[in-house]
Parts: sequence; structure tokens; C-alpha cells
Amino acid sequence: MGERITVENVGKVYGSGSRALDDVSLEIDPGVVLVLLGPSGSGKTTLLRSLAGIERISEGRLSIGSTVVADGRVHVPPERRDLSMVFQDYALWPHLTARDNVAFALKRRGLPAAERQVKALAMLDRVGLGRLGGRYPSELSGGEQQRVALARALVADTGLVLCDEPLSNLDADLRERMRIEISSLVRQAEATTVYITHDQAEAFALADRVGVLERGRLVQFGTPEEIYAAPASPFVARFTGLAGELAVRVRVRPAGGGLLEVEAATRSAVRPVAARPGAELTDGDDALLCIRPTAVRLSATDADDHHLVGTVADVAFRGRGYEHAVVLDEGTQISGIFSDVRIERGRSVGLRLEAPGCLVFSGSAAGMVPTAAADPPGPLAPPVAERPKLLSAS
Amino acid sequence: MATLVGRVPRPAALPAIRALSARGARLGRPALWLVIVLLILAPSACFLVLAFSPRLFSQGSQWFTLTFFRQVLTGTTAVALLNSVWVSLAAAAIGVVVGFPIAWLTHRTDLPARRLVAGAMWFVLLLPSWLPAIGWQRLVQPDGVMYRVGLDWPWVTHLVMGPFGVVLLLGLRAVPFSYLAVSAALTGLGQEFEDAARVHGAGRLGALRLVAPILAPAITSSIAIGFAESVSDFGVASTLAYASHFPLATYQLYEYIGGFPPNFPGAAAIGWLLVASVAVPLAIQARALRGRSYAVLSGRTRPVVRRQLTRPAKAAALGFVGLFYTAALGVPGFGAVSSSLLADFGASLKLTFTNYDQVFRSSGLAGPLERSLVYGAITASLTVVGGFVFAKMLAGARSASTRMLDFLLLAAVALPSVVFAAGYIFAYNLPALSAVGINLYQTVTLLVIGYVASSLPTNARVLVGAVSQVQRSLHEAARAHGSGSLRAWFRAVFPVLSKPLTMAWLLTFCGILLELPISSLLYAPGSPPLSVAIQDNLGNYHFGTGMAQAVVAVGFALVAVAVVLGGYRLLAPKGWRRLGGWTRG
Repeated sequence: MGERITVENVGKVYGSGSRALDDVSLEIDPGVVLVLLGPSGSGKTTLLRSLAGIERISEGRLSIGSTVVADGRVHVPPERRDLSMVFQDYALWPHLTARDNVAFALKRRGLPAAERQVKALAMLDRVGLGRLGGRYPSELSGGEQQRVALARALVADTGLVLCDEPLSNLDADLRERMRIEISSLVRQAEATTVYITHDQAEAFALADRVGVLERGRLVQFGTPEEIYAAPASPFVARFTGLAGELAVRVRVRPAGGGLLEVEAATRSAVRPVAARPGAELTDGDDALLCIRPTAVRLSATDADDHHLVGTVADVAFRGRGYEHAVVLDEGTQISGIFSDVRIERGRSVGLRLEAPGCLVFSGSAAGMVPTAAADPPGPLAPPVAERPKLLSAS
Repeated sequence: MATLVGRVPRPAALPAIRALSARGARLGRPALWLVIVLLILAPSACFLVLAFSPRLFSQGSQWFTLTFFRQVLTGTTAVALLNSVWVSLAAAAIGVVVGFPIAWLTHRTDLPARRLVAGAMWFVLLLPSWLPAIGWQRLVQPDGVMYRVGLDWPWVTHLVMGPFGVVLLLGLRAVPFSYLAVSAALTGLGQEFEDAARVHGAGRLGALRLVAPILAPAITSSIAIGFAESVSDFGVASTLAYASHFPLATYQLYEYIGGFPPNFPGAAAIGWLLVASVAVPLAIQARALRGRSYAVLSGRTRPVVRRQLTRPAKAAALGFVGLFYTAALGVPGFGAVSSSLLADFGASLKLTFTNYDQVFRSSGLAGPLERSLVYGAITASLTVVGGFVFAKMLAGARSASTRMLDFLLLAAVALPSVVFAAGYIFAYNLPALSAVGINLYQTVTLLVIGYVASSLPTNARVLVGAVSQVQRSLHEAARAHGSGSLRAWFRAVFPVLSKPLTMAWLLTFCGILLELPISSLLYAPGSPPLSVAIQDNLGNYHFGTGMAQAVVAVGFALVAVAVVLGGYRLLAPKGWRRLGGWTRG
């Protein structure tokens, strides 16, 4: 049975003076799968390693169940926290066979060696590797090594399983299959799971709860649906997938249903857009409109239902249909626009924006990226690992 | 369009160039094999076969006999062989016992000055074994520095000038090999393995116990290499061990050849036993590791957390490391420098620069230094080119021929230098070669060929790591963007390899400058290289002059390192300097 995890005002400052965690608080119910999401350097690995006991926290308190495992005075060593972990590089001991690697995790249970071997083999069977128990890690493929690491983490039936980006070294196909396996195995084990990733699609697919970290601070905590529908800031919105951003001005007349009307500061704007406020906004405020890919529809320029006009810059076949990138007058790009039909490059199109996926934030919160043009896909885009993947529009 | 038309004739010329280069490639490979056969295989094979069949080359009456093996397995030679084996085992053990902790301290703790400790290890590795040996020897010999300063300690003399001293010197020599093997393993052993053990229930000690076997291959390698290096060593055998009347196999082989008449079949029998003693541990090590790769390196291995040593632990660790460097460099360095400042005869302690004055004024003393500098430069230049060609072959597609080349070069690296040189003496003195007009015996040319042939396998193996990392696309990209093959190589590939090639040149140059076994056996009469001249001076009781020559030689080697590395820093384009490290690969 999973343990309740309590993180209270945790901070971590490294010897070099750099702050990795800043006043992080959260509570995870037993058996819940929590995914910590954030870019490189956001502190997610530090938080995970602090839970494991590999890192010492500088401030705050960590509890597993009713036991305080770390605070200003206490630091329970990793081996006494009764947890298990899947490492990013799997960390399989190369001189032990797959079976021995898994059996090692049972030593803490005080079982006789023969029983450990039997249980290890049974666990390897569960992950589909029963026949390969006698092989050394170097004789296994990446996916098989990953499964051994998962078996090692689950075999001892610990109350807390930690996963440090375990899918990051796998190719796309294997990644998806392993994601499903991890999801079902940790839920079968009923263990509380803390999983870290920088891939928001992986996070949303796996999580019961998502915690988004930015520069050491927990900036949002909730269900995947809550975070997608109501991101707390432009950072969270960007990190969980945007088609584009537009500088806008809030108009006097609210659109009703809790929505605001905003006017885009672009010559491509045809009519005001109804949007959901992400912050306190008043008439005339400069603001930022964050547009989810799911909120954009293509329409003909002579139709009267579109809010923006632009030119198709790129079209990509995605199997189920086509994703278009449209450039507005002054170069702002709206991308990931799904359509069943292919619109050729260079064609003028209208863009209809749907209110549930249009989020408006105050100008000050939006200060980091004034328009989507600052973060176009292509040569000027940040490295792939840093850039949030766009969620599929359909 | 006009430009395109203007370039039309060029593709027409290409087939001819391609055909020529293809022919060159077809001829080049057999030519390289011919070089390997003539320079490396044939001389050693001709020599070693004498142990069984002396009549084959008119060295006896039997077509097949084991007499010479029986001969060398009795009397003094048997004692020497036995000595070589047990002394080498002890030296390998010292290598691991000292090298492992130093590697761990420099890689896993916050030991002060650990960069200096790591850098100095290279100095110990590159110093030929005879130099520290004569440094120690001149310190403790009955008329040595120790007695001249009034320390009348005969027990120290007996201790150092005997089996203990020989084991100590060879053991100190084995330390860098252990250090490097264990360092490489520790570098690849990320922190995760310990973390994983702790997270899954192992205490601090349990985690260490779990992780330690991952280093087993490195420790096995250390023992094998330490043993192989010690058993094939000629430097300590011909200096400290010889002066201590403690016979070792390599020096016995030298005496078999140097005696009158020379006993080549007997020397060949010793050669076989030496080759076996080097090959057996290396083969056992390779077999033990087969199928159990402990390769743990990955691109994302987490950097280790250095253990913070307490103040007493730091002091103890520094004391241990300091003791090693004192024995490996400090004592012999002091012995060499101090005895070079003393007059040769008498018991006075008056310091003088007479010996240095003689080295620089007397052409007979400066000559060997100049000679060795020239030999070193020629050998290093030829070897780097040849080594690169071999490395390129090894780094190419795996075929039966590259596997064979790989094996031969590895075997040649393991072949003791003294056996290699003995093969040259014998093969190039054969009447058959004279009959076809090859008269290289006792010439400088043969000495340089011997240097090149002995350095080539090591150089190829050093360069293969770097060469195999150069992607073919670098060259292809330059070709695709308009450079000819040769220009493409110099513009796109050479800059990437310039550091490893420079380093290989430097390593060979320094090695040849102070090389002893091949020099002793192959030097042309009247033109002794530096190491032989120093040994002659010491043998003729000109201790001060000999030691002054040795000190000056080490000084020149250091200056050469500074000039080459400094020159590279100053002259190489900035982009070249930013590529890679100074170490191989």
C-alpha cells in the first residue's frame, strides 16, 4: 500500500550557492501517481533525489507516511526510507545478472536467498523478461534494461516508487509502450509514485496529479485536466503546449460566461476574441493571449466567423490529418493547427479562435515572451529537450 | 550557367584520378603488410625459431631440438627466470596496492592538489625505468651520496641493492599502469550505482561492497599489465639488479647475445619464455573478461559526489601519496642530481659543476645527446605517419585483415623490447641479406628502423581511439563542398586529429630520447646514443658525468615537451585548440 508523502516548505541550496528548490510544498495521497514536470534546471530531479535521501535538503521538512525523513536536524539515509527508484540510466549493476539485480532489492526484506531468487524471477516474468534473468545488463537491449530497472523498483513492494525520467533514453515507439507498462504496473502495486519528466505529453498521459516546477518553485499543482484547462501562468501554458501567443488589449465589454473580450494588436485581427482570464484584468490593460492548439480552427477568408487572417507557412501530414502553421501579418506564427484537409503553403486563411482554449494573462506576467514570434519552431527555437511538445489538436 | 559549362571537363578527368587512387589503395595495403612482415614479424620470427631449429640459420647442427630450453632452465638462467617471475608478481601487487588508492583518492575525494597528483603520474609513467634505478643506486652505493654525506648505513645499501630494491623499483613503475586502469574505470562508474544500492536498502558499506566488483576488470588489467611490464623490463635489470648481482631474465638474454661467441639459440629460448610470461597473463585477463563486459559508460552518467575527507584523513592521504612520489621521483631525482654534482672519486662532499661542464664542452659527451635528439625527432615523425596509417586501417571496417593487423600490433606491443632487438641483431646479420645487398647490421639506419618498428605498434594503438572517433562525414563534407581529397583531409580531418598526433609525436620523441634496450643492442659502434653513453660512463666509474648526462637528458625532454605544447598553443589556430583533450581519443 502506498504511503502519504508530505513536502513542507522544502528548499535546497547547493554548495556553490545555487538554489535548486525554493519553498516547495505539496502533499501526495497514498497510491497516487504524481508527475513533476519542468524544464532542465527547474529542480525536479533535486526534489526527487531529496525524497530518495540522496540529496540533503537545506530547509523545510519531508515526510513519508507519518515519519519525518528530513528536516533541519534529521536526515534518514536512503536505505532506511523503504522506497525504490528507477534511475534515468537505469543504474543496473553490470556485474550482476538481471535476476540478481532484482533480487538485491529484496535483501532489505530479510528473505532467504532462495526465496529472493524466486520472487525476483516472478517479477521479471511480470515485466516479460522471465527468460532473460540469467543475462547481464550489457546483454540486454535498452528496453529490456529499463524493464529490469522497473522490476527492481517494484519487487520489494515499497510504499514509494521514484522514477527519474526513465523513458528519456528510449526511442519513440518503445517509450510509449514502456509508459503504458509503467502506468499499469505501479497502479497494480498500489505504490505512491513520483515520476519526473520534461515531456508534458508523457506527464499528462501518466499522472493522477501534476506538479509544474519553474526555477526551483512549484508554480502549479493539480490534475492534468486542471493544468491544461487553467494554467496558472504563461510559463505553465507554454510548457503544456501552445499554438501561439498574441499581444492583446482588454476591451471594456466582457464577453459573458466569465469570459473577456480582447483585441489583438495585429493588422491580421478581424474581430475581437473571447478569452478566459488567467489573471485579474481591467479595461484597457495590455495582456497576452495564449492559444491552445485545440482552440484554433481554419476557415475560409470570406467566411464571417474568423478572428484572424494569415498565410499558410507550412503544412505537415500527421496521419489522421494535417497540421498547419500560419503566419500573421507582422510575422507572428500560429502553429499546430489541425485540419482534415490540406491547405497548401501560401494560401490566405482565416483562423477561428475558441474561447475555452484562449487564455489571457496580464502584461506583467506575460513579460517573458511578448509574442509567439519569439519562439518559432525552426532554427531559432530552443533545444528540443527544453521546448514543450504541442499537444495534438484532436 | 557559363560557370557550370566551364567546369564540365573536370568530372571527365575524375575517373582517371579515381583509377589511380584505387590502384594506390590496392597496392598500399600489401605494401603495409610487407612493412609489418619485414620490420616486425620476420626479424622476431627468425630469431625465435632458433630456439627449436638452430640449423635453419646455421646456428647449430639440429633441425629440431629442445636442448636450449633445457639449457636456460638450469643454472643461473633458471634462477634469473624464477627471479623475474616472482619479482614481477610482487611488483604487480605493489602497483595495485599503491595505484588503486591513489586513483580513488584523486577521483572520489576532495584530496588537495589532486590535479598535480594526476599529472605527476604521467611523468612517472614516461620516465624510463633505468633512470630512477640509477638515481637510487647512486644514492646508496658504497661510494654513493649517502656515504659521502656521512650516513654510514650499509643495511640500506643491502636493502636497496638487492631483491627488495628491485621489487620496489619495478613496483613503483607498475603504479601508473594501475592508476590509469582504475582511474578509467572510476571515471565511467557514475554515482548512480552507489545511489541505486543505497535506495534499494544497502548501507554505505554494503553499497561499496556491491560496487567494488565493477572495478574487478580494471584490477585484473592492472595486475596483468604490471606483471607484463615488469617481466619484460630491461632498465632495472641492466642497472640496479645487475649491480646487485640479482639476475633477471631480460639481462640474461642480453648476456647470451653479447657473449663470445653469442648464443642466439639460448637467447631465443629465453625470448620464448619471456614472450610466454607476458602473453599468458594478458591472455588470461582477456579470457576472464570475455562475455562479461562491465561497460558502464553512458552519455548521461551522473558526476560523482566527492567524499569530503576529514583533516586527519586528508593528512594521511597526502602522506601516502607523498611517500609514493618521494620513492618514485624524489629519492631518485635527488640521487641523480646530487651525484651529478660530486666528483667521481674520493669521499669528499664538495659540490662541483665540473661534470656538467664536461657534458657541454666535450664533444664526446655532447654527441650522444645530439644523436638521441635527432633519432628521437626522426623516429617520432616517421612513427606518427605510420601509426596514423595503421590506426586508420584499424578504425575502418572490420575484416579478417584488420583483425589480423589488430592482433599483430597488440602482440608486438607485448613483445619485450629486448627480444625485439635481439631479433633485429640476428636477422640483419644473416649472410643472405648481405648477399642481396642489404648491409644494415651495426648501422645507424638499422637502429632508427628498430626504433620506428618498436614504436609503431604502440603509436597505432594510441591513435586508433582518436582516429576511430573522426566521422567519415567530415572528409566527405569537405569533398562535397569542393575540396580535393588531400586538401579535404588537411582542412577537415587533420585539425581534429592535430592534438592526438602532436601528443603521439611527443610521447615517441621522449621515449626514444631515453630508450635503453634497443639502443644497447642495435647502436652503431662509435655512435652510441644517449642511454648507452650514460651506461658506459657509469660502467667505467664516471658516475658524475653519467648522472650529469642523465639529468641534462631529462631536462631536454622536459624542454621538448614545453616547446612542443607551448608551440601548439601559440601557433595552432584557435579552433584546433578547442577540439578534444590532450589525452587519446
